[in-house]
Amino acid sequence: MKQIGSVRADDNILHLAWNGDLLAATPVTGEILVLDLVTRDVRGHPGHGLGNGDSAWFDGRLATCGFDGRVRWSGRELHAGRGMIERVKASGDGKLLAAGQGKSLLVFDREGNPAQGLAGLPAAIADFAWNGSSQVAVVGAGGARMWELGQDEPFARFDWGGASLRVEWSSCGRWLATADQTASVHIYDFTRDYPLHIQGFDSKVRAMTFSADGRKLATGGAPIVTVWPCTGKNGPEGATPVQLEGHDGDVSAAAFSPVTGKLATGDGTGCILILTFDGDRVLRKRLRLDSGISSLAWHAKKEWLGVGMEDGIVAVLSLES
Amino acid sequence: MDRTPVTILTGFLGAGKTTLLNRILTEEHGLRIAVIENEYGEVGIDHELVINADEEIFEMNNGCICCTVRGDLIRILGNLMKRREKFDLILIETTGLADPGPVVQTFFADDEMKEKLFVNAVVTLVDAKHILLHLDDSSEAREQIAFADVILLNKCDLVSSSDLDAIELRIRSMNALAKIHRTTNAGIEILKILDVGGFNLDHAMEVDPHFLEGHHHHHNDDVSSVGIEADGDCDGKKLNDWLSKVIREQGADIFRMKGVFAISGQADRIIFQGVHMIMDAANGGPWGGRPRRNRLVFIGRNLDREELNSAFRSCLS
Repeated sequence: MKQIGSVRADDNILHLAWNGDLLAATPVTGEILVLDLVTRDVRGHPGHGLGNGDSAWFDGRLATCGFDGRVRWSGRELHAGRGMIERVKASGDGKLLAAGQGKSLLVFDREGNPAQGLAGLPAAIADFAWNGSSQVAVVGAGGARMWELGQDEPFARFDWGGASLRVEWSSCGRWLATADQTASVHIYDFTRDYPLHIQGFDSKVRAMTFSADGRKLATGGAPIVTVWPCTGKNGPEGATPVQLEGHDGDVSAAAFSPVTGKLATGDGTGCILILTFDGDRVLRKRLRLDSGISSLAWHAKKEWLGVGMEDGIVAVLSLES
Repeated sequence: MDRTPVTILTGFLGAGKTTLLNRILTEEHGLRIAVIENEYGEVGIDHELVINADEEIFEMNNGCICCTVRGDLIRILGNLMKRREKFDLILIETTGLADPGPVVQTFFADDEMKEKLFVNAVVTLVDAKHILLHLDDSSEAREQIAFADVILLNKCDLVSSSDLDAIELRIRSMNALAKIHRTTNAGIEILKILDVGGFNLDHAMEVDPHFLEGHHHHHNDDVSSVGIEADGDCDGKKLNDWLSKVIREQGADIFRMKGVFAISGQADRIIFQGVHMIMDAANGGPWGGRPRRNRLVFIGRNLDREELNSAFRSCLS
């Protein structure tokens, strides 16, 4: 393993996003940086005042958002409102860009024009996830609603008495997972229209990610990483998850490699685990960096891991032999 | 780890919150303050340190029937706490019609918020000219007063001195603990509301040495304060059982609870505070030369003074 690139942002790294060999690093405040791993160039994009949201690649260019209520893309402001915007995400086919603001999901096409979004939702959007090009799940107070854009009613939903903060939709389309305000997750199986509520975590789940094939879901919050099997008729229901120790602090980030299936997890003490699944065995490689780990992202085609840290440093590690 | 203080600003529509916010943002007080205001507030404030939030209520689903928190605050504050450059203080404005409960409970119920932040004060602005109408008509107005640590009785220039005395007396009957300042145009030395220093029952005693005696019954408000004061040590288990029973059975009606206890076998003071069904206790340090005197205040709806007093006294060893 070797470090093949690095850049320093002004603040704690909230989010990393790859586009080919370009890595976008969004810090809590200040410029959003794009590191070109080929040329070593670093390009800055304006920040969003008191707080940045996350960033997403859309039609080859970076879209950003933040507490200033703005979505910027391709040198343009697609939207400027008063309410904060924490999430911006491109659809699976890259044709649409969405941003959650209050009870509205703003959607834009590749020309930057508003497209059919969602408005007047019953609760503010805490997070959302795309499935393909036209389906979106939004979560917040009361559970999750899954929409086909353009329809008047959600095509699926689950309700519960609490609130969900984060959502991930597996790439196979079968599973939707939410991390909740209480120390729990919901895993919704579209094939059965069934939400499984898993409680008993030691803390709020801060890191959650599906493997690229949708067959594993990793969750972390406390120092233990839990990997749930999402296969078979019932998925995680009744199954024994793999619980992995080795972290020194609460797990803050997790990402599966789409190339190798390895799981990288990071904690607030600067410890990273690289977990390789080999049948029933899990091989563990451990490394330690100088600052708490705040974000992790794998390159889509190479065995490169982007590591964002609390001190603003972004390191790119190559695990290629 | 040092926790960042949070001031919560409440007040009915037109009470002067925006005037006060503008003063806080423009006056030189040497503090770096982040303001979280409502996107749909009365008047938008454009300022580089202002974040617009959506009032997003999360039910906690944790077995506590009245426990709600503000989801937007949890996410905004979580983001602010990650910054390298920290704020000296965070100020949260609620809308005029909002119940302050979810905002206050956010800092008691969410582990991450508890770890990094503490409530410095709930500051409630009161429109002296119209407050009596609001108190009669609006449960929100009564609750905003009930939750307050500091009350600015504003627009005093529009009301006679005798009327102000009557208003103050009625407010005091509802919330015996709050420090009351009379103001015009929300004119007050800013540090008096930004540097309250969190929970301080001794400070409340300075406000009105007899506030615990329950003499302030001049109106039939459903919201009132019940103060209990008793010398001697409490039996820790009995006290815990009783408080648990109180919050279980009456928590939905109790807006705030604050107390200082002398517990048998414990040299230091135990301070506790609660919001609805959530309570939090901590070591309050040595008694010093002061007598080991228990002091406890409930602010809530339909409180039974005699019952609470009698039940507490049965907890004494």
